[in-house]
Amino acid sequence: MITVLFFGPVAERVGQSRLEVAFKTGMRLQDLREQLQALYPEAFALVSLAAVNGEHEREMSVALTDTSEVVFMSKFSGG
Amino acid sequence: MKNSMEKSIKEAVRIQRDDFSQDEEIRALQACSKRMGGIATFLGCARDFSEGREVSEISFDAYDRMALPEMQKLREQAITRFGLLDARIVHRLGVVNAGDNIVFIATGAEHRAPALEACRWIIDELKEWVPIWKKETTPQGESWVTPHP
Repeated sequence: MITVLFFGPVAERVGQSRLEVAFKTGMRLQDLREQLQALYPEAFALVSLAAVNGEHEREMSVALTDTSEVVFMSKFSGG
Repeated sequence: MKNSMEKSIKEAVRIQRDDFSQDEEIRALQACSKRMGGIATFLGCARDFSEGREVSEISFDAYDRMALPEMQKLREQAITRFGLLDARIVHRLGVVNAGDNIVFIATGAEHRAPALEACRWIIDELKEWVPIWKKETTPQGESWVTPHP
């Protein structure tokens, strides 16, 4: 299962901070985004960044694995 | 004695709920080298007014697994890029009240220019790359902060 985490305003719009998504062979980051965006369009309207396993990931074609931890994030506002 | 003193020096990059002491951070920075001729600092505080509304408190959410490593990377990059002797970054999480400290950055170099430039660079990069979000509590309710320059 892929673990998907949400924080801040995105978590608020999704209504939860963590989801488990079934992994499918050949699944890419873009596939996961499209799957979740269809379910949570208001939340994904805020998403502009993604991270895989704790690292920024700009390449949406990157392959995921069954143990990937993915975060879809809005722009940051720390500091 | 020496070991206990060494242990009392806090990590150069931290995320914590408690407030921090600017004096302690600057002392720790100065302790790394007597070649340090310039120290620059940035202190970010919680404002009591934002977007035309009074703000009573600010709460933070963070992706912990990524936030601290990203801050550590920024420190290392700043040291290399600006030739610093050392740098320290502390960011608070949890709930802070208006007027309270949020973030502190201290940079030390042989001369003032690289220290000042690095301090500005670190806070700008932190706002762009470190996964922390803040939510303001106002009389009209709570709202997540939209980033701005």
